[in-house]
Amino acid sequence: MSDRPKTLRDLGESLYKWVVDRLERTPFLSFKFTIPQQYLSPYGYLGTLTTVTFIVLGISGAFLMFYYRPDVELAWLSVKEIEEEVPFGFIMRNLHYHASNLMVLLAVAHLYYQYFSGRYKIKNEVLWVTGILLGILTVLEAYTGYDLILNQRALLAINIGTGLTFAAPVIGPSVAPILIGGGLFDLIVRFYALHVFIIPMIMLVLMAFHIPRFLVLDIPIVLVLVGGIFVAGGMFPVHLGLRFDPSLPEITVPEWYLTAIYAFIRTGTERFFSGALLPLLFTIMFLIIPFVDKSRKLGWRDRPFFTALGISSIILIIFTTLWGFYVDFSQPTPFEQLYIEPTIFYGSITALTLLGFFITYRFITKPSPPRRPTPAKPFVLSSKGLLVATTVVFALMVLTTLLAFQTYFANMQNVSMFNMGMSLILFGLLLHLYRHGISRVAKQPSTTQQPEVKA
Amino acid sequence: MENRRKALKFILAAGTLVAIAPLATGRDFFYRKETQELPRQKIANLKELSEPGSYVNFVYPKTGDQKIDSDPFRQFILIKTKDNKLRAFSRVCVHLWCLPSYFPQRGELICPCHGSVYREEDGVGIEGPVLYQTYPTNALPMVELEVEESTGDVYAVGIDGILGYGRNWRDRTPDSMVKRV
Ligand code: FES
Repeated sequence: MSDRPKTLRDLGESLYKWVVDRLERTPFLSFKFTIPQQYLSPYGYLGTLTTVTFIVLGISGAFLMFYYRPDVELAWLSVKEIEEEVPFGFIMRNLHYHASNLMVLLAVAHLYYQYFSGRYKIKNEVLWVTGILLGILTVLEAYTGYDLILNQRALLAINIGTGLTFAAPVIGPSVAPILIGGGLFDLIVRFYALHVFIIPMIMLVLMAFHIPRFLVLDIPIVLVLVGGIFVAGGMFPVHLGLRFDPSLPEITVPEWYLTAIYAFIRTGTERFFSGALLPLLFTIMFLIIPFVDKSRKLGWRDRPFFTALGISSIILIIFTTLWGFYVDFSQPTPFEQLYIEPTIFYGSITALTLLGFFITYRFITKPSPPRRPTPAKPFVLSSKGLLVATTVVFALMVLTTLLAFQTYFANMQNVSMFNMGMSLILFGLLLHLYRHGISRVAKQPSTTQQPEVKA
Repeated sequence: MENRRKALKFILAAGTLVAIAPLATGRDFFYRKETQELPRQKIANLKELSEPGSYVNFVYPKTGDQKIDSDPFRQFILIKTKDNKLRAFSRVCVHLWCLPSYFPQRGELICPCHGSVYREEDGVGIEGPVLYQTYPTNALPMVELEVEESTGDVYAVGIDGILGYGRNWRDRTPDSMVKRV
C-alpha cells in the first residue's frame, strides 16, 4: 500500500488485499475453496452439499427460535402459530423441516458413495470415523428436532427413545433420567438445549476434523439444492399433527429415517435388543471397516466382498424402512394393526440380506468386460443459442419471482415458497449458462487455466 | 535424579486428580432432586377409601407449580382393591404413555389409547399391547405407602419402578409396598 488509492476500484482492491493478508493469520484460509468453471458431477462432493444443508438448517433454525417456545404447554401452539400466524413462518418452518430430511438423505448418500469408492483407505481413517459419528449425530439432531413439536408423533418418538435409553445395558438407568428430568416439562427443555446447541456444537467440532482441506463448491448446484428444498416445502408442506393428548389413540409412524428402527420395535421383542440392534450393527460395521478392508484396491469391482456387504446393507435399510411404514388396517385394534410377528420379520430380513449379499457377490466376481470410459460428448451451444437460453431463463426467473411476491401477499405461502424455489433453481441454471458462456469467450484469445478462487 | 523426576510426575498426576475430583459432584446437576430423593407426602386419609373399589388420584411429588403438577409423570392413583388392600400406581401407561383409568367393577386399570389392561393387585399388564412387552416393561410402577394407624393418613414415600417404563415386579410383592406406622 505504497501509493494512495485513486479510484474507488483501487480502494476496493487494496481493501480486499488487506483483509486477505490478515486472514492468512486465521485458520480459515488454510481451506481452499475451488469454484469449478465447468459443471461437476455432485457425487464427489455430496459432503459439501451436506454441509451447505447444515448451514441452511442453522440459519432457519436460529430464526425459528424467535417464536418457538420450549414449554410443555406452549410448544405445539407456538409451532402452530409459526405455521399459521407468523408472516413467512410457514416458509421458515418448511425450509427447516425439508432441509433436515435432505441432510439425512445426503449424509447417507455421501456415506455410501465414499464407501463404494473405498475412500476410507489411504490414511483417511480419521475422516471416515468422524464422518460416521457425524452421521449418527445428524439423525439424533433430526430426532430431537421433531420431538420439539410435541404432537402425537413426537411423543411416540420420545417414548421409544427414552425407553431404549432406559433399556440400554449398564448406563441406561442413569442416563435416561437426565433426558427426562422431572417429567415432560423438563424433557422438552432438555431436548431443546440438545437440539439447538449441544449436538450442533459437537457436530461443528467433528466437522473441523472431517472437512478435507480442499473443498469444491459448485454454486449452481448449491442453488439448485436450496431451491429444491423450497420447491419440496411448497409442494409437500409438513403436517403439524395432533397435539399430544394422553387420552387419544392414534396410529402414527415416526419420520422415515426412524421407521426401520420402529419396525424392529413393533415386533415386541426385548426392547434394547430390537431397537438398538440395527443401528449398533451398522455403526460397528462402518466403524471397523477401514481396519478390516486392508487391501490397496479402491474400486468397488475389485472389492467384491465389501461391495456385496454394502449392497446388502442398503437392501436391509430399504426393506426395514418400508416395513416400518406399513400398517395393517384390516386388523381390528390399533395395536394389532401395528404388531409385527417377530419370526416372520427376523426370518425375512435375514433371508433377504443374505440373498442380496450372495447374489451381488456372485455377480461382481464374474469377470466383467473391460469398460472403456466413453468420453462424454460436450454439450455445446452456439453463442446465439446461449444468449437465447440465458434470456429465456432470465425471463422465467422474473416470472416466478413475480409469482412468488404475488402469492406471498395473497397469503398463499406454500405457492410462494414453491415459486421462490423455482426462481432459485433457475438462477442456478443462469449461473451455469453464464460460466459456460464466459469460459468460451475467455478461451478464444488464449488458453486460460482454471482459476482457483481463494475464499 | 530419576526418582525425583518420578516423584514430581506422581505429584502432578495426583494433583490433577485432586483438582478434578470435586467437579464429580456436578453429576447432581443433571437430575431433578425431588425425583432422586422422593419426599414423604400425605396423599389421602383412609376415610376417603372406606369402600372397596374407591380411589383417589394424586400428584406426587407435589410442588405447587401447576405446570409441573399436571405433568403426566406425576399422576398417580391410590386404590382400595376388592380385597380391601391399598395399592398406588403410576398412571402413565407403559405402552405409549396415555393415562389409564380405574374400573372398580372389573378391578382393573384400562388404558384409553390401545386398551392395555392392568390388574389392581400388582399393576401387571394382562391384556392389550402391554402383554407383548417383555419383563420388566409390562407393569405399572408402584408407590410405596405408609399408613399412620392413629390418624388414618396415607403417605407416599417412594416409587418402585421407572415411570412410563416398567417395574421389576417379580422382585417385590405388592404387599411390601404398604407399611403401617
Ligand atoms: S398407551 Fe396405553 S395401551 Fe397404548
